[in-house]
Amino acid sequence: MTGDGTCSEYVLEGFAVPDQLDAVHTLLAQAADEHPDLDSMDVMLFETAIIEIANNVVEYGRPEGEVRWRFTIRVREDEIEAELDDTGQMFTPQRGKGMPGEDAEGGRGLPIAEALLDRIEFTRMDDTNHWRMVRRLGQPLPG
Amino acid sequence: MSFEEVDQSAYVVLTPEGKFNLVAAPPFKARVDDLVAAGKVRLVVDLHAVDFIDSSGLGVLIGGLKSARQHDGDLRIAASGSQVQAVLKLTNLDRILTPYATIEEACHDW
Repeated sequence: MTGDGTCSEYVLEGFAVPDQLDAVHTLLAQAADEHPDLDSMDVMLFETAIIEIANNVVEYGRPEGEVRWRFTIRVREDEIEAELDDTGQMFTPQRGKGMPGEDAEGGRGLPIAEALLDRIEFTRMDDTNHWRMVRRLGQPLPG
Repeated sequence: MSFEEVDQSAYVVLTPEGKFNLVAAPPFKARVDDLVAAGKVRLVVDLHAVDFIDSSGLGVLIGGLKSARQHDGDLRIAASGSQVQAVLKLTNLDRILTPYATIEEACHDW
């Protein structure tokens, strides 16, 4: 952890492969452990959202198994933020499509993240995909 | 993730553990497909030991539900925790995947 008392930062670097998803859960758990004032519902919903974005990189990042990522989680007084940079190919997320029908077996990842985050930004800079995900603390579950 | 399986004759209980995510979903789907193909179309997924589900896990539950119903059976879920229930509600899937409190409640009419 690094931080100055108003913002604590947690960083994970490695390959964007399925086995590393557990490391993302662990990183957020570490942040939550060190911030006992964080509401468990906020942590749970934020975790649900950022894992969906992480899944996207793991599933669709190419070349498969060779994409590297850097996850940064920041805890602030009123929000929790994750930044995810990955070295995968250029990617164009299909934003704003809404939740698919009840019988759909796929297509819920990004809509779940969009529903649980207050801000979700995607940019392509040089050879890197960059996601920024923010959840304001203390918001109720949507829906 | 591993999962236990108990055949109660009238129905089969599957009990996944840990994170029901894109790693765990494919083998679970394969097992549900095998069960349905073998005529085991009444399935209960006991979720008490699942602490996290993602959209891949949801997709497998929906796929299993559709497959079981196409064969005049059903897939029901029991004992889901708070994260699972929050995600079901968020995605509106609680309308077709009723979260039963216990296995006994889930299979009350089987």
